[in-house]
Amino acid sequence: MPTALWMQCGACGGDTMSFLGMGAPHLPDFLKELNLTLWHPSLNRWEHGAYAQLLADLRYRSRSLDILLVEGFILDQSGESGGFDTLQGEPKAAILRQLASWAGAVIAVGTCACFGGIGKLGAVQATGLQYHHRRPGGLLGEQFRSQRGWPVINLPGCPVHPTVLQDTLCAVCENRLPALNNHQAPEDWFGILVHQGCTRNEYHEYRVEDSDFGGPGCMFFHMGCRGPLTYAPCNKVLWNGRNSKTNAGVPCFGCTHPDFPQEHPFFHTPNIVDVPLELPDGVDRAHYLAYKGMAAAAAPDRLVKRKSRV
Amino acid sequence: MAKTVYMPMNRVEGDLEVMVAIEDNVVSDAWMIGTMFRGIETMLVGRNSLDGLVITPRICGICSTSHLLAAAMALEDITGTEVSPNGRLVRHIALAAEQMQSDLRHIFLMFAADFTGKRHADHTLYPDMVRRYQPFQGSAVVSTIVATKILPELIAILGGQWPHSSFIVPGGITSQPSRADLRQCRLLLGEFRRWYEQAVLGCTLERILSVQTAKDLEQWLDERSEHWHGELGFFLRCAQAAGLDRIGQGHGSYLSGPGFVMDDDDQALDDGGGFLHGDVFEPFDQQRIVEHVRHARYQDHNSSGHPGEAETHPLHAIDPEKYSLCKAPRYNGVPAETGALAEALVRQDPLFTDLVANQGGSVLVRALARLLRPARIILLMDKWLGAIDADAPYYTPAAAPTGGSGVGLIQAPRGLLGHWVQLSGGTIDHYQVITPTTWNGSPRDDRDVRGPIEQALVGTPIRDPEDPVEVAHVVRSFDLCMVCSVHTVNKDQGTLGRLRIGM
Repeated sequence: MPTALWMQCGACGGDTMSFLGMGAPHLPDFLKELNLTLWHPSLNRWEHGAYAQLLADLRYRSRSLDILLVEGFILDQSGESGGFDTLQGEPKAAILRQLASWAGAVIAVGTCACFGGIGKLGAVQATGLQYHHRRPGGLLGEQFRSQRGWPVINLPGCPVHPTVLQDTLCAVCENRLPALNNHQAPEDWFGILVHQGCTRNEYHEYRVEDSDFGGPGCMFFHMGCRGPLTYAPCNKVLWNGRNSKTNAGVPCFGCTHPDFPQEHPFFHTPNIVDVPLELPDGVDRAHYLAYKGMAAAAAPDRLVKRKSRV
Repeated sequence: MAKTVYMPMNRVEGDLEVMVAIEDNVVSDAWMIGTMFRGIETMLVGRNSLDGLVITPRICGICSTSHLLAAAMALEDITGTEVSPNGRLVRHIALAAEQMQSDLRHIFLMFAADFTGKRHADHTLYPDMVRRYQPFQGSAVVSTIVATKILPELIAILGGQWPHSSFIVPGGITSQPSRADLRQCRLLLGEFRRWYEQAVLGCTLERILSVQTAKDLEQWLDERSEHWHGELGFFLRCAQAAGLDRIGQGHGSYLSGPGFVMDDDDQALDDGGGFLHGDVFEPFDQQRIVEHVRHARYQDHNSSGHPGEAETHPLHAIDPEKYSLCKAPRYNGVPAETGALAEALVRQDPLFTDLVANQGGSVLVRALARLLRPARIILLMDKWLGAIDADAPYYTPAAAPTGGSGVGLIQAPRGLLGHWVQLSGGTIDHYQVITPTTWNGSPRDDRDVRGPIEQALVGTPIRDPEDPVEVAHVVRSFDLCMVCSVHTVNKDQGTLGRLRIGM
């Protein structure tokens, strides 16, 4: 029976909540399906002293650990901020290093654990498991490999999409490393842009733009939407089985990016003469300008007049 | 130099440790030790005024909608923005849905798991406790996991996703739910209601809402087999068997923030919050909040005061005197408990007023307040869904706030939540958040008065100091957003051991 330990570091618990809300099969049946023993600090109960004993057994290798799941950013920079996240007086970063070196596979659950996430802002100087934002390194270092010879599997997202986590656990329990992209995230889930499948796509196509909340138009040109630049399956596998932020009029904030959260304001697109400085991934500026000029002229009335509700 | 401010401890994981002293099998003293600092508020300083709508939901994955709403209201407070009526209704619906998922997951996934411990094994109900509450397997656990997924679905229809959306903005919401969307929401609410009535209550919402006194509750329990064997009835029997009606009384001061305020004539909806200390009630006034840091790991200079002014400078070094990374908020200078029970008492709910008069604010009463809260909320949600005019706007165009100070205060799932913001030139100069867990889990204050949980622990009889599960019951009854470690200290023997309470 494979074993998995979930560790929470500088976390909000959002990835746990996302995991708890997975679609069919629901979490208890999913664990049965994989025959997986999961130890999770929010969901399990231990008798007095048993959790400390479990951690000690895993750290000192008297018990096997197939999968280590880490949620939240890691406070390890310069050793000082480690005191801002401790378990019974010991920095969690030190515990994680030991566990990671023993685990068959290590999965970074959510953007914070992957890259440092919101922990890069403010006073705490957090890092990710194998990345420090864009730069390889992080807590474990670029050369780190788990017992199976794998790098950390990054599952970015704030929070992680439950289906992505569900699927990755399936692969890992079959002892398969999913094909990873250049930030060590599974290609199958992070090879698609948020823009693909967005219900505002046609508005983008004809350049029918919104510049305030509450409309059905495209939010890329003025409102800070990063959907055309962000690799994530939010509009392929809907959230909570129902919807996505962009469909609901919330710009994509690029929460799967290694550099999330961005420096500039979230609800504003930096642009020159109404054309965003950053264009959809891989697009040539001159061609894009020509195409968008013509597309705007060709926009049908039903879009220009915003007759439909997204 | 940029101002830095403090960050609350409100999360789902092990960021809080409890230390108790046990003398003659009774807790003689207790300390709540916040062990983590994320510095969320410091992340906001210097950023655009609207950026709190994206950053602050990330404070908490369980109540991200609550933070989002408080952040938007703080900005609206600055500009005086009027929210569109539809926008208000949708916000209320989303907040209520978030509250109910939190309440039920807390009771059946987090709180009740402690009944499965070997300490309760000698009780006749024990086999049934395990059958219902065993993590990942118990019947109540599985049924709660399945049923509570419905509520985030409902929020996603309105706001895109749960958790961590940013669909609430000054002036309303970003989406325009159609009639079809609203009908879907009503179907989901109906599905959730059926589960709550059939599996949890064993009766209708109307029947349970007619229970107005402790005696009524006893009669209700005996009335039918569905009541006796339903999750509520069983939980009550477990809690009584475990003596949870006799432990966990705190200071007896209760604080509740502005709740679901609506512009209509229904008094039940118009809940402005308040402070109840003994028999004395005062309407809520945020000016009366002050934070203390004498026992919190922050520089003394400038770190105390009203949250609109206080700064936060965390200290690296661990100092026995400054034992927590939680500050100590006080109302009128005294500690106050917040959450579902405080909300019910401030609202003068007859059942909870009677229960507290009879047995004090016990662990059982505190948990029961959470377990029964959905009964009222489901009916309100249904009414709000019906009140939305799908042809009217959900958003009133609002000027972006540029300068000034604002406050956003709401009743979040775990109690009073406040955001204080100061802006100039369109950017954030100062941001301060006080979460419900900061109130309940606070350390001692400048006058050495214990925080609410610390106080509630004192006097708790501990049958086996090697396995002080009673401590877990008391701490958990406050619905802290975290996993705790309990260090038990016996005055004669030094440290005995540590108990991790799996949340």
